[in-house]
Amino acid sequence: MLWTQRLWLRLQTLFRGGRAAQQLHDEVQFHLDQQIAENIAAGMSPEKARHAAKRTFGNVTLVQEDARRTWGWMWLEQFAQDLRFGARSLRKSPGFATVAILTLALGIGANTAIFSVVNAVLLRPLPYPDADRLAIIWSGLGTVNRAVASTYELFEIRQRTKEFDQIGGIWVTNGTLPGEGDPEQVKVGIVTSNFLPILCPRPALGRFFQAQDEAPNAPWTVVLSHGAWARRFGSDPSIVGKSVRYGDASAVVIGVLPEDFRFYLPGGFPSNVDVFYSVPVDGSQPGGPGWLHLVGHLRPGSNIARAQAEADAIATQIHNWDGNQNINGLRLSVYSLQADDVREVRGTLLLLFGGVGFVLLIACANVANLLLARSTRRLRETTVRAALGASRGRLIRQLLTENLLLAAIGAVAALGVGWLALRAILAARPPSLLNFNRLTPDFTVLAFTFLVAILASAFFGLAPLFAAGRLNLTQSLKEGGRSTAARNRWTAFLVCAEVALGFVLLAGTGLLMRTFMNILRVDPGFRAENVLSFQISTPKYEMLHELQQRIAALPGVQSVSAVSHLPLVEAANWYANYWKEGASEEEQHTVMADHRSILPGYFNTIGATLLRGRDFTESDNAADQHVTIIDDVLARELWPNEDALGKKLNVSDSPKGAYQFERDWAVVVGIVKHIQCHSLTVMVRPQIYVPYQLAPRPVSIVILTAGAVPDLAASARAQVAFLNKDMAVSQVAPLSDYLTRARSQSRFASLLAASLGAIALLLACIGIYGVLSYSVAQRTGEIGVRMAIGAQRWDVLRMVLGQGLTSAALGLTAGLLLSLILMPLLAGMLFGVTPADPVNYILICALVLTVSTLAAFLPARHAMGINPIAALRHE
Amino acid sequence: MGKPSDLVQGTLDLLILKTISLEPKHGWAIAKRIQQISGEVLQVQQGSLYPALHRLEQKAWIKSKWAETETGRKAKFYSLTAGGRAQLEKETANWSRLSAAIDLVVETS
Repeated sequence: MLWTQRLWLRLQTLFRGGRAAQQLHDEVQFHLDQQIAENIAAGMSPEKARHAAKRTFGNVTLVQEDARRTWGWMWLEQFAQDLRFGARSLRKSPGFATVAILTLALGIGANTAIFSVVNAVLLRPLPYPDADRLAIIWSGLGTVNRAVASTYELFEIRQRTKEFDQIGGIWVTNGTLPGEGDPEQVKVGIVTSNFLPILCPRPALGRFFQAQDEAPNAPWTVVLSHGAWARRFGSDPSIVGKSVRYGDASAVVIGVLPEDFRFYLPGGFPSNVDVFYSVPVDGSQPGGPGWLHLVGHLRPGSNIARAQAEADAIATQIHNWDGNQNINGLRLSVYSLQADDVREVRGTLLLLFGGVGFVLLIACANVANLLLARSTRRLRETTVRAALGASRGRLIRQLLTENLLLAAIGAVAALGVGWLALRAILAARPPSLLNFNRLTPDFTVLAFTFLVAILASAFFGLAPLFAAGRLNLTQSLKEGGRSTAARNRWTAFLVCAEVALGFVLLAGTGLLMRTFMNILRVDPGFRAENVLSFQISTPKYEMLHELQQRIAALPGVQSVSAVSHLPLVEAANWYANYWKEGASEEEQHTVMADHRSILPGYFNTIGATLLRGRDFTESDNAADQHVTIIDDVLARELWPNEDALGKKLNVSDSPKGAYQFERDWAVVVGIVKHIQCHSLTVMVRPQIYVPYQLAPRPVSIVILTAGAVPDLAASARAQVAFLNKDMAVSQVAPLSDYLTRARSQSRFASLLAASLGAIALLLACIGIYGVLSYSVAQRTGEIGVRMAIGAQRWDVLRMVLGQGLTSAALGLTAGLLLSLILMPLLAGMLFGVTPADPVNYILICALVLTVSTLAAFLPARHAMGINPIAALRHE
Repeated sequence: MGKPSDLVQGTLDLLILKTISLEPKHGWAIAKRIQQISGEVLQVQQGSLYPALHRLEQKAWIKSKWAETETGRKAKFYSLTAGGRAQLEKETANWSRLSAAIDLVVETS
């Protein structure tokens, strides 16, 4: 086969290139020797013979090169040559190399870090089988969207759906898990029997729930997480089939989840749930409360759009929702699980990604500027090479190779910078990113980094290429490497672009920082200082009451109370419809409020403001005297022009125990100022409060102290253990932690934006400084002449400053216009400040002007100090 | 004798293949042989001879071997491969057709 022979020959010349080259040399030498011998034979002297032979032969090196070119590896050889040359010339100008590589490392590294997050959060599919076919289904009614569904709704949807082959539901609450050591409070998942198999193909041990587990006389069964199994039961391999104590009852363990199983579900859903039990999907009770997060598995060939169309149709069919009422306006929303999961952070991440893109552009502009300056300095070198016969293509290739080398080194450094930045991002990430434990750089990130580096090198390499392209031999040799007008235009443009891009980043940073400052100033409706909180699972009222009294007796404690949901804690929220006496059927489903069961003294303990009426008392327990406290928002909504005190409100409670809901009428005895419960920036729902006896639930104890009390948590724990040694204490944390956490998303965004803004400003400064310094160095002679013919030092200062500030001012104007166009993109992340906020723009203008003046001042001062005599000799 | 004619574009390969078709030769001998046979009319430029030899070798039409010359020096001898022989036949036929065509044009006009 001819081609195998050819391949063999080519490989030989590649891998034994040194030998082949030597042989080529010998071959040519033999030829020359033959010619010399012939010349001598013809009567020439040896000296003359050799010269004549060489003349006949021509350019020996060129012939050898031409021969080598036929081997087909010339490009590789030249590439290696260019690389070596590039490395050598970088080594020879360490200042340039350091600045360029650091700039690239910053620019590319920032991209690597943010891309790692984007990749993990937005791009990588969730680690579930058929992740692209999983959907979340929210129920909505009236003004409420994204609400949990009732079992009745689930039942009805299941009856009708053709697009889903499975729909399951889960609700997460708290419970106490016995086992080895102290009792532990854990997250408990109440699921439909088909829920776990939708997300997890098979258990690590045993099996998942089946219909028989829900039979009326079947033993109670639970599935454990891998963590709970290892922690609480010592990884007992024969746990399946064993009976364990759970709360007051006992349950049979039927299965254990795989070790790497995590939940990635939206809405503050915990990633680890330790115990699961199943409940039947009961369609017999329309009007039951919504409590299920629904996750559906699409049939093959179906998609979200079709499922949504079907859900719209089903929603109109679930009319007879509350037995005797027709409910219009029930909505079902179907979202891809992945998309819904990242809903809250998606916008922030994409904007940050855009932001780092800007940083990269600035970095590229900077390096382009450095390269431009360098290429001018190297003009003589380039010219000489061209004069010696280097083709234009070859010169350009050599420049590109050098840029590629620079970018490659920059990319390697960027991986380091990116890794560090990622560590910092992980440390500062908000809870909405907590679920993502998978923030590890992978191949995609690596590939992205190098792709960005290559693109960047093409981008910043363009500028000097234009210079090389316009090379004019004689002109260049004559000029001896002085700057040209074309180069100056490029430089000015690049500085403008840097300032403009930097301005946009700073404007965004300014807005986000103002937002964060505004959020810091928000009155959450409570006072978090000196309040300690911890959670216990559903205690009997008598025990809770005694615990309250015992902790109150501890030294330093001012006040103690309990609440079913701490403010700004999203998990296991309970909310329902409430209506006033005499409300029409339609009005009965328009107002929703968060339900909170509390002990007396709660408002006082967390520093909430009781506006009117009274707090609960210990005697507010009786079923015959049902009372409630509502917040001012609900009071205004239900009784806009009346006094809410003494009015009757229809409430949903569970006096017979958790999850056994009953509706009843309650008298409003107090109005409290609204407490921000879900977010500091948005009022999600008003709240109603009921005495704990009417709705026993897992509760958080809140303890107000006069100041820091050492070992308060331990003392309080001891009191819990004294009353019930099986009751677990969890989530011990100062209330201020939750406040900090609620601010963390904004803090995160403003922190990252500030970092990007600072990098941008720094790079723009380096840009202005570098360009002006270089320009001053180039114009030393000219400045000398100016001074010699009478220019004052101040004129020189003004000239250089003017040159720098003209670019900066142009960039500023462009940046201002660009910001006015781009800043509205941030609107969703802002609070208390508008995208067009004039104060922000004035501040940023002032900042950019000050900093660019400073950056321009140093080279200007240098120019001012030029000695005309020395400068004139400089030529 | 006037200036030696430059080789017609593309005919160098043919000349090389033909020259070594009888026995292996080194580059110097190939150049000399072409010069002699053509009665000093064709002069091979060394600048194109060696690149051509290497190109033909890469195409596997000729192969090379280091061997001693009659004077005892080591030289690189080129010889035809089977593929080269086929190529020679093809190029010879091509050349005949081409020169015949040129003759026709030159003689009739």
